[in-house]
Amino acid sequence: MSVLSKLEENIPSLRRYAWTLLRNSSDADDLVQECLLKALDRIDTLRAASDLRSWLFTIMHNLYVNRWRRMKLRARLAADNAEAEPAVGPSQQASAEIQDVLRGLSSLTEEQRQIVLLVAVEGFQYGEVAAMLGIPVGTVMSRLSRARDRLREFVEGRERPLLRRVK
Amino acid sequence: MTAVERPIGEDELHAYVDGFLGPERRLTVERYLADHPDAAARIAGWQAAGEALREAAAWKFQEPVPAALNIARLAETRIASRWGPWRIAAGIVIALALGAGSGWLARAPRGAGGAASARKVAAAVNRESGSHPVRLAAGQPALLEGRVTQGSGGAVTPPDLSRSGYRLVGGQVAASGQGPACMLLYEDAQGTRITLLMRPVQKHDTSATQFAESGGGNGGRAPQLAEAGADSGGRVPQFAEAGGNSGSAARLAEGGSGGGATAAGSCP
Repeated sequence: MSVLSKLEENIPSLRRYAWTLLRNSSDADDLVQECLLKALDRIDTLRAASDLRSWLFTIMHNLYVNRWRRMKLRARLAADNAEAEPAVGPSQQASAEIQDVLRGLSSLTEEQRQIVLLVAVEGFQYGEVAAMLGIPVGTVMSRLSRARDRLREFVEGRERPLLRRVK
Repeated sequence: MTAVERPIGEDELHAYVDGFLGPERRLTVERYLADHPDAAARIAGWQAAGEALREAAAWKFQEPVPAALNIARLAETRIASRWGPWRIAAGIVIALALGAGSGWLARAPRGAGGAASARKVAAAVNRESGSHPVRLAAGQPALLEGRVTQGSGGAVTPPDLSRSGYRLVGGQVAASGQGPACMLLYEDAQGTRITLLMRPVQKHDTSATQFAESGGGNGGRAPQLAEAGADSGGRVPQFAEAGGNSGSAARLAEGGSGGGATAAGSCP
């Protein structure tokens, strides 16, 4: 299988991760495109084909942190979550649980959000996430705990709009 | 549970939720959860949140990939442009015929105009520089690339001018008023040399044009080249990060080879 088709295989999950981070389809696809172009430029730095997926996510993470966060997209989303796209295709209707978990996702810190998405949605191992983000595994685990506990509050209905629990 | 078992850590609860545990340890965790309703409720919440997240994102994964992300097409444009001119368009000012000047490179300047311009540019580059320029031997592009990265704090890819017949033979790092800069020396088969000054270009940077004027004594094309740098520089604070518009890139490429011919006069 050629490198190109291996890259292609990963596009759906790159798009999913970019969208869950940005909650805006066109921004997300811009990020994915930038990531793919960078990957094509640097394909000679990929050591083993088995690393391809985490290598791609690392590239995208770095692009996201360097460029997109600087543009304060997250700040905008956090300030007004209504601007975030609903989590459904055009014909579906989001269940209450999905709406709850997405509100929870918006309430997380940037680092917690990245980690819980990489682990719970993208299925990366903790060590892979640590390497990707350049942080110790212990930090990944503690942030994962905080992220999951927080999301749980939203999913179980203890966090409702206009009813914030003060810890 | 009778036997005293290794305590279950929080990390293991995550590994349980994420399916990273071996069958034996998994059973142990399940027994632990049966005895600890609080932990079990927490785990159930984590699992529910994970499922909701996956469900929320599933539609994006299943959506057809848009044409803009067609990998074959992206690869085509990328390979065509790999050594193409617009990689270097951003933030580049070409200072022509700077053979030496202020000890920049081994050769002494010949043409009076060239020497004066060289001094001007070198002075501009060294001004406000607390650091000493790093000089590199000719014929060490790999080393040069490493040094340039180290010295400027950002990755710099020396542009490939081989399509115009020039190869990289040396260069050095210094500071400029706008931040770290590097000077790259190219030579063609006839021994004609051109020097590129690469530095970050800030928004509303007018000094790019000033550089052009100082290089203008050597060749009529220089101002045009510097314009190319200024055009693309507005948006691009990084070294050599692609971003120039193709119009300026074309002018730059033209000037790169055309300017070389001019350079032959003052720096044989």
